[in-house]
Amino acid sequence: MNTYQWSDLRIGLSDGFEVQLTLDMMEAFASISGDTNPLHRDRQLAMQRGFSDTVAYGLLTSAFYSQLVGVHLPGRYALLHGISIDFVSPAYPGDTLKVSGEISYLNDAFRRIEIRANTTRHGEEVVSKAKLRVGLQIF
Amino acid sequence: MQCEKQRSASSMANILEELQPLFRDILDQPNLRISRESNSSNVEGWDSLAHINLVTAIEQEYDIKFSIDELLDLKNVGEMVDLMEIKLATK
Repeated sequence: MNTYQWSDLRIGLSDGFEVQLTLDMMEAFASISGDTNPLHRDRQLAMQRGFSDTVAYGLLTSAFYSQLVGVHLPGRYALLHGISIDFVSPAYPGDTLKVSGEISYLNDAFRRIEIRANTTRHGEEVVSKAKLRVGLQIF
Repeated sequence: MQCEKQRSASSMANILEELQPLFRDILDQPNLRISRESNSSNVEGWDSLAHINLVTAIEQEYDIKFSIDELLDLKNVGEMVDLMEIKLATK
């Protein structure tokens, strides 16, 4: 876990990681969210609707932005204030997702940063784009 | 850049008008109309997180920076507009 403090941060600082989306994650998210829509659970129906497999929950794939902020950038002292997400294209179970972010704005008065982030599948297709508003806790 | 062009073509007196959509968007009140006397005590939904969002949005929109001391001195939107005019005039 990174432990960036305010003086360590600068515009352009970036980080990221890769994660594989699994069926276990899909099941866990269905259980937590209660979203039982068949698009996420019925492969045949999803394919009939033009997708290549059951569609991963958008809020599951974007849950990794929480890891980006809380573990990587800035890490330990982060407090997530808000997030805006656009879901650009679907992701599927088995996909390897790459989650990346870069600091685009620093506010000294409130110790607030903004991170432009995105998630891609297999290193190319953009799954989502996000703007993350993050405070840095002071102790 | 678009905002820079629009602002240079208008007078500083229009800052209050330029801020109207920003406040409506961040405070999520489509019919909100702020005045110079508006502040967190008399505008619904203007909580501490909204305050941070308002200040950071203004900073980015106008490419200016506020110190924490400057922000603590402000009593209402009018004083914010006055401070913005000073900062924009000296950019």
